[in-house]
Amino acid sequence: MPLWIQILPGSDEPIYVQVAEQISKAIARGELASGDKLPAVRKLASELAINPNTVARAYSRLEQAGLVTTKTGSGTFVSDPKLRRSDASDINMLAERMDTLITRGLNLGLEAQDLIVLFEKRLAKFGNKSNKQKDEK
Amino acid sequence: MNEIVLETEALTKYYGGTLAVDHMDLQIPRGCICGFVGRNGAGKTTAIKLMLGLLNPTAGSSRLLGCDSSALTPAIRQRIGYVTEGHRLFRWMSIGGLEKFQRSFFPKQWDDKFFVDMIEYFDLPKKKKIKHLSNGQRAQVSLALALAPNPELLIMDDPTLGLDAAIRRQFLEGMIELIMRQGRTVLFSSHILGDVERVSDRIVVIDKGVLRANCSLEQFQKAIKKAILSFADSVPGDVNIDGLLHCRRSEKQLELTLVGTDDEKISEWAKSAGAENYNIVKMNLEDQFIEFTAPANHRRLFQWEER
Repeated sequence: MPLWIQILPGSDEPIYVQVAEQISKAIARGELASGDKLPAVRKLASELAINPNTVARAYSRLEQAGLVTTKTGSGTFVSDPKLRRSDASDINMLAERMDTLITRGLNLGLEAQDLIVLFEKRLAKFGNKSNKQKDEK
Repeated sequence: MNEIVLETEALTKYYGGTLAVDHMDLQIPRGCICGFVGRNGAGKTTAIKLMLGLLNPTAGSSRLLGCDSSALTPAIRQRIGYVTEGHRLFRWMSIGGLEKFQRSFFPKQWDDKFFVDMIEYFDLPKKKKIKHLSNGQRAQVSLALALAPNPELLIMDDPTLGLDAAIRRQFLEGMIELIMRQGRTVLFSSHILGDVERVSDRIVVIDKGVLRANCSLEQFQKAIKKAILSFADSVPGDVNIDGLLHCRRSEKQLELTLVGTDDEKISEWAKSAGAENYNIVKMNLEDQFIEFTAPANHRRLFQWEER
């Protein structure tokens, strides 16, 4: 699956964050599977017409999040989900983000059940990936 | 790694009684793409011409690749590329003629194939005279001429002014291509902050001839932010918080634009000023630039009265 990244200059998110977020989304959706190689920093920089340091920053952000690992000399690879660290603070942060969404939903007048249905619908978009992981088990 | 390739020291230029560049102390390390931004008339073109030794400073000095700008030797000039504002090229020359002319200044490192490939890619006939080219085509020729000698230091004065999105992108790609070769440095001025954000890893801001910022783009983007504070009754009269650029008041709200103030400080101040709550808002680069270079007492241009 080719990686499609779009840069939005003038956004309040710095470009390295935009690149990192779009790659982590591709990983979450299974478009990039564990073991897949990310494009070389220089290649992605020239394709997107952005500074190579910006790409390098995006990759190191992904590495800090445990989503990719860099092997010196051979490149950056999507890491094995089983080896990804997800400590309590990461999960906490996720929970806090969900609070924002729940607040918005409730303010729109949705009931708890509506929210759950909505959540499941959206989750289905990532279907390939979650099924695949179940099959492996 | 941090070798300085471009340096100015108290660089100053008066045009008659008008101060165009005011005691500018600038240092650019090797290996970066540096976006040089400032409002119209801020002194960017003058500063660039001083750096290149095309103008004499009233006071102060500058050095390129370690050599004083007023005494750049041919050997040093061969390592420097310069793209003029408006891509002024000899109008009576053909593209091929300009190629030969320009190549003669860079006998050692001119890349024939690179130039020919670029001209072919742009679909420009080599025999065509510059005066018969469109603005965009002239800019493309100028880009090819600037990159073919593989300059160690490339200085471009507003190279994308008035160009369409596709040709602008070619300039950005050209800069990225150059910087990925070992040890190249680019300084380019521009009014298109989106372009600067895309390709630069360093930003230099000049305002009314004064150097206001020279740091990594990331530092700049982190440093400037807005805080919006709400008050139950009325806003305090005095706003004495470090790093305050601008302060806008409404009946129950304060909107502060701050530079270099960390979130903790804002939180402390909000508490001490008795704010009910506060919000720190991220800004995009264009808003940051506008607020950073706006005069201290600036008001909105249009103030609509509510009926």
